[in-house]
Amino acid sequence: MSQLICLVVFLFLFRHTDYTGNDTMPYAVNILFRLDPLVLATITLAQKTFVTLLWPSFIIIGLTLFFGRCFCSWICPLGTLIDGSGHFIKPGKSKFSLPYLKYIILIIVLISSGFGVQLLGFVDPFSLLVRGMVFSIDPIINYLVSLVFDSVYKMGPAALSDYTEPVYEWLKIFVLPFKQSFFYLSFLSFFLLVFIFIMEFFGKRFWCKNLCPLGGLLALISRVSVFKRVPIRSCKNCELCETKCRMDAFDKDHKFEFEECNLCMDCLEFCPDQITSFKFAIQKNNTQININRRQMISAGLIGLALPVLSRTNAISKTADDDLIRPPGALDETLFLASCVRCGECMKVCINNALQPLFFEKSMEGMFTPKLVPRLGYCEFNCTLCTQVCPTGALSRLNVEQKHAFVIGKAYFDTNKCLVYAQKKSCIVCEEHCPTHDKAIKFNEIKTRDIQGNLLVLKQPYVKEELCIGCGICEHICPVPGSSAIRVGSSV
Amino acid sequence: MERRKFLKQVSLWSAGIIITPPVFNITPKLFGSPLIKPDIIVAKGDDYTSMLTQVVESLGGMKAFVKKGDKVVVKPNIGWDRSVEQGANTHPMVVTQIAKLCLDAGASKVIIFDRTCNEERRCYNNSGIRPALKKIRDKRLRIEYIDDRKFVSVNIKNGKALKEWSFYKDALEADCYINVPVAKHHSLSRLSIGLKNVMGVIGGWRGKIHFKLGAKLADLNTVIKPDLTIVDATRVIVRNGPQGGDLNDVKILNTIVGCVDPVAADAYATTLFDLEPNQIKSTVEAYKRGLGQMDLTKCNIRYLKS
Repeated sequence: MSQLICLVVFLFLFRHTDYTGNDTMPYAVNILFRLDPLVLATITLAQKTFVTLLWPSFIIIGLTLFFGRCFCSWICPLGTLIDGSGHFIKPGKSKFSLPYLKYIILIIVLISSGFGVQLLGFVDPFSLLVRGMVFSIDPIINYLVSLVFDSVYKMGPAALSDYTEPVYEWLKIFVLPFKQSFFYLSFLSFFLLVFIFIMEFFGKRFWCKNLCPLGGLLALISRVSVFKRVPIRSCKNCELCETKCRMDAFDKDHKFEFEECNLCMDCLEFCPDQITSFKFAIQKNNTQININRRQMISAGLIGLALPVLSRTNAISKTADDDLIRPPGALDETLFLASCVRCGECMKVCINNALQPLFFEKSMEGMFTPKLVPRLGYCEFNCTLCTQVCPTGALSRLNVEQKHAFVIGKAYFDTNKCLVYAQKKSCIVCEEHCPTHDKAIKFNEIKTRDIQGNLLVLKQPYVKEELCIGCGICEHICPVPGSSAIRVGSSV
Repeated sequence: MERRKFLKQVSLWSAGIIITPPVFNITPKLFGSPLIKPDIIVAKGDDYTSMLTQVVESLGGMKAFVKKGDKVVVKPNIGWDRSVEQGANTHPMVVTQIAKLCLDAGASKVIIFDRTCNEERRCYNNSGIRPALKKIRDKRLRIEYIDDRKFVSVNIKNGKALKEWSFYKDALEADCYINVPVAKHHSLSRLSIGLKNVMGVIGGWRGKIHFKLGAKLADLNTVIKPDLTIVDATRVIVRNGPQGGDLNDVKILNTIVGCVDPVAADAYATTLFDLEPNQIKSTVEAYKRGLGQMDLTKCNIRYLKS
């Protein structure tokens, strides 16, 4: 029940990660990431300060201190979806399991984040889930639904579309996104997410048991929790709870492992003698954590090696002129360390202008946002992305601050510009330039057109100190292909 | 009738039954002939609602334009994510009052839309137009976002600079089309008034129109011919148009101009900026196409007392 409520809340917030006629977000749509203690841990390590935005994660820590790893089965929307997928994917019965992997991943992520390489985005369950939904699931659903209604509208008889169009309109208001969105890396995000579900073939909650680093962190915390299951081992002649446990929370000696239990409480029901129960009690852990010293040390070494590898990568020595970070972005190094690749900024971007990086910035930049002006520009009065960022990688800006925040600078390609290259009148860029003293200005010049006739032309130029790099000029430039005015990050 | 034939082609094209775009081949007859002397009604004051009522009344009342059961399109300028005071969009009070008059005249449907330059939801909301219209609780009134499926390619047979472009279906099919532009400065065309407002009902990559803009606007205006033009010059951007942003660039004129002739409406509104009608290329080109009168000495200009 609580699972369903949390899932519905999650989906509601996902849908409302959008402009709703309000300049400030009415709901804390990023709450999932702010509840995530793993985000808290890596961001604190990366920024070396406490980010107040992340205070809600203490709720989860507190909850875990009392009730153990209940988050995984009571709240986590990915867990709920995985449980739900059991109706379609028949979970395997194999006992193949690697419970130490989640601790290894956890150690790598934590240590490397302390040295400025943020890997959480690749393994955090919410990053994977939200990104998968933003980049692929949501656009796919909208595309398919629209395809159905559009076909009826275009090809069907008018009498039919009189009925379908109101339904479509209703769906658009309550269920579908306002616009069809398009994203790079839609394939990759889709398969990363789907892979989590495919792993169910190896056994129930395979991801949660073996890979999820958040699960690992909560497991460690839950070792001191006070709400636990008794008895602390499976009964010799039955072992039903052990064989049916979705979390495999029993070790080789049939001892119950508290930290692996996610308190789904199914064992209350299938115990034939009804002797299992959950109660408050201070109990000593009777099992070891599922990781040995050798694994721990190697994980630590990997965590140390990755930041070194990243610092010796030549990419850190070059500037990518096309890499325009969203407004409010921290200094690039700190930004990379602070971005958990949750995809919220890209979801909320009103013009679908923010897109995920692939290998432009090597591994450590993957899935971080950049502005692609040809796809969409940064809306002058909009500050939504800075409001939804859960970690402060994009610091929150008000409208005045946003108007002054420089994300890039525009420059002309005079070989392409209609005015310079073809002596045609245009200045669409000047028309759209939103700054109050326009950053694009023009001179009236006397020149000759291609036929040699004298004419007066308005020739645009960029007044650099006024430009904030919103990219509407690049977006709107009527030259086909790449624009004749472009925004660069290092101009 | 030519128009009926054209509309039939529009609906057939939309339904995917014919592939060749509808051909618009209607030559404007009514205007631009020296025999007709269009009325230009000018109202000044700060009660925009009653000024509008008087302007429309002086032109014969809304019933002269909107017949009972008509589908009416009211086309304001909602192009920019700017506030009411910044003057980049039509004043919401002007739009709502026109809409109310249309509803009172018995329109079966009043549709209000614009193809915006900034993000549409921001423009509709921050222009104040959507919130103001939402207060009129009438099911016949609809403020709609542009639906890309509704753009119809039109072959402009008599176009001089533009032979084919796509237009919004609702605008083509309207029984009565009321143009409600805001008058403002525009860097390329000098001014943006009624004839320029047609940019909001066309599809395609509009930036491409900016070469020979005046002539192309005139061509577009042969297809979309408003039955009534109400120019909102309550506050006008005099510099850094068409979107402005700085309140120092805005001048309060408290003026509303009404005219049946779209060219005459623009011609008169031009004088509010201390410019001559012949300095605006689209006005001159539209006049040449016979879309209306640009010589103000050949118009009846009537000033209403408030």
